[in-house]
Amino acid sequence: MNLIDFLKKNVENHGDKIAVIDNEKEITFIELYEKVEKFSDNIKILNQEEIISLISENSISFIIAYLGIINSGKIVHLISPEISEINLFNQLKSSKSKNIICNQLMKKKILNFNSIKTTIFDIEEILLKHNNKEIESSLNKFAYLIYTSGTTAEPKGVTVSHSMIEFTTKNIVKVLGYSNSDTDLLPLPLNHSFGLGCIHTSLYVGSTLVLLKNASNLEEILESLKKYKITTLAAIPATLTKILNFENKKLEYYFSEIRLIITNSTAIPKKTVIQFKEILKKGNLATYYGLTEASRSTFMVFDKNNQREESVGKCSPNVEIKIVNKEENNLKLGDIFIKGENVIKKYWNNVEADKNIFENWLKTGDTGYFDNEGYLFLKGRSDEIINVGGEKVMPIEIEQTIKNIPGVEDAVAFGVEHEIFGQTIKLNIIKSKNSDIDKAQILSYCIKNLERFKIPSKIDFVEKIPKTDYGKVKRFMLK
Amino acid sequence: MNNEQESKEIIKNIFFEVFSNLDKNDFSWEKEQKDYENWDSFAQLNLITFAEAKFNISLTLEESIEIKSANDLLKIIEQHLA
Repeated sequence: MNLIDFLKKNVENHGDKIAVIDNEKEITFIELYEKVEKFSDNIKILNQEEIISLISENSISFIIAYLGIINSGKIVHLISPEISEINLFNQLKSSKSKNIICNQLMKKKILNFNSIKTTIFDIEEILLKHNNKEIESSLNKFAYLIYTSGTTAEPKGVTVSHSMIEFTTKNIVKVLGYSNSDTDLLPLPLNHSFGLGCIHTSLYVGSTLVLLKNASNLEEILESLKKYKITTLAAIPATLTKILNFENKKLEYYFSEIRLIITNSTAIPKKTVIQFKEILKKGNLATYYGLTEASRSTFMVFDKNNQREESVGKCSPNVEIKIVNKEENNLKLGDIFIKGENVIKKYWNNVEADKNIFENWLKTGDTGYFDNEGYLFLKGRSDEIINVGGEKVMPIEIEQTIKNIPGVEDAVAFGVEHEIFGQTIKLNIIKSKNSDIDKAQILSYCIKNLERFKIPSKIDFVEKIPKTDYGKVKRFMLK
Repeated sequence: MNNEQESKEIIKNIFFEVFSNLDKNDFSWEKEQKDYENWDSFAQLNLITFAEAKFNISLTLEESIEIKSANDLLKIIEQHLA
């Protein structure tokens, strides 16, 4: 089954049901299918191209264009609306995409990029066209291409196939219990694996998807929970942590009917997990570990009986994970490798990156360990290790400790050069609203809770920590 | 408390934080690095980091290396605050 089959199944089973709500607009499954068909018919004239780039904010139009491009037999190259001119230029060059489809606002923005010579089409204009030409097409092996904007400076193209999507979606449904009685709130960017996975899941089970433009308006998220009788919410850890600043009693009211909050593996503070365990009376918070290259490889449901608040859970059904240790250590800590039908076979036009895939095992670049019961704990990325005078430090451990300090909203730890130690640890901290915490208080907490070589030597209070749309820290930008 | 007394009190507290097993009676301004059980290079780094945070100063590498007792740290801090 592919995404178009998912959609067709809903048309047959409950065509008049609302598929997607976007502010004041809504669309049924049958209307969505008709628009997807029309969209794909109207772009089939571009049939010599294998890839079409799509840039759009969250909207019903995005979903029509996404499915329409796939239905026309092409691969969707998904691009963030926030992309810079140089990154757009590089992605178009690497992907060999000759056409961009976007909304009107993006079209204006891209037309101002002097280096971009690609043909640009407006989503709404495509939908208004009437194309009478019958052009046969079959689905491409791949559904979409995403460049992992990620946490390193060099983006890599990841093509995700229909079979990978089917495998992952079925795992999501199996583990997290999505059904057509759900109404799913999605304040995530749709051009990333997390948001896309949520769309695929809603399409697969036939639930109603409520889109928000983004997660910046917390009151809108909370009001939407009640307004649309939401049963599941997908949000990054930073959004969940910010939500906790609202009065607790009110949160219990807003989340009273929620059966599931799904977040992703960007380190979620332990205190956030514990607080949501209290708030959710009828449901659970869950997280997963995955990469665009290996979506949803583990799942963790933080139920009341499981105290592993810092774990990303157990392997997904039919997914294998192995830890490869370079040096013996008590924790059995090592590099994480993943194998399964959710894992890519190769990168897009990138022979160098392909070296990370060997005999179907993907070297993730993350490090972690399993406990005795098979729960995976992440300890950071192997290329993020800070070497303090020969002692290896994972930034995530420092960050998790610091984020537990009252008055700290967010924190990032990274290595800075030091004449004696080679590297020492620097902390950039965002204070919570009205917090008057100072550096000495942070250090006092550190010395009580961390080993001596893990105590930061520099602390800066900052307004912002550079992050990707999905809340992963862009470590190469830290200073 | 005058400024010197205040500085002394802060420095003493830094020593008790960095050397958590240091007994109040065992603290002396003259006691040297070699006489502390666990004053190694990491403890040195921690002392300097705390001092920089509490007094809002920045010590040079040379100053950091010179510190071998609580008294040395006090002197360097007084120079910075003068």
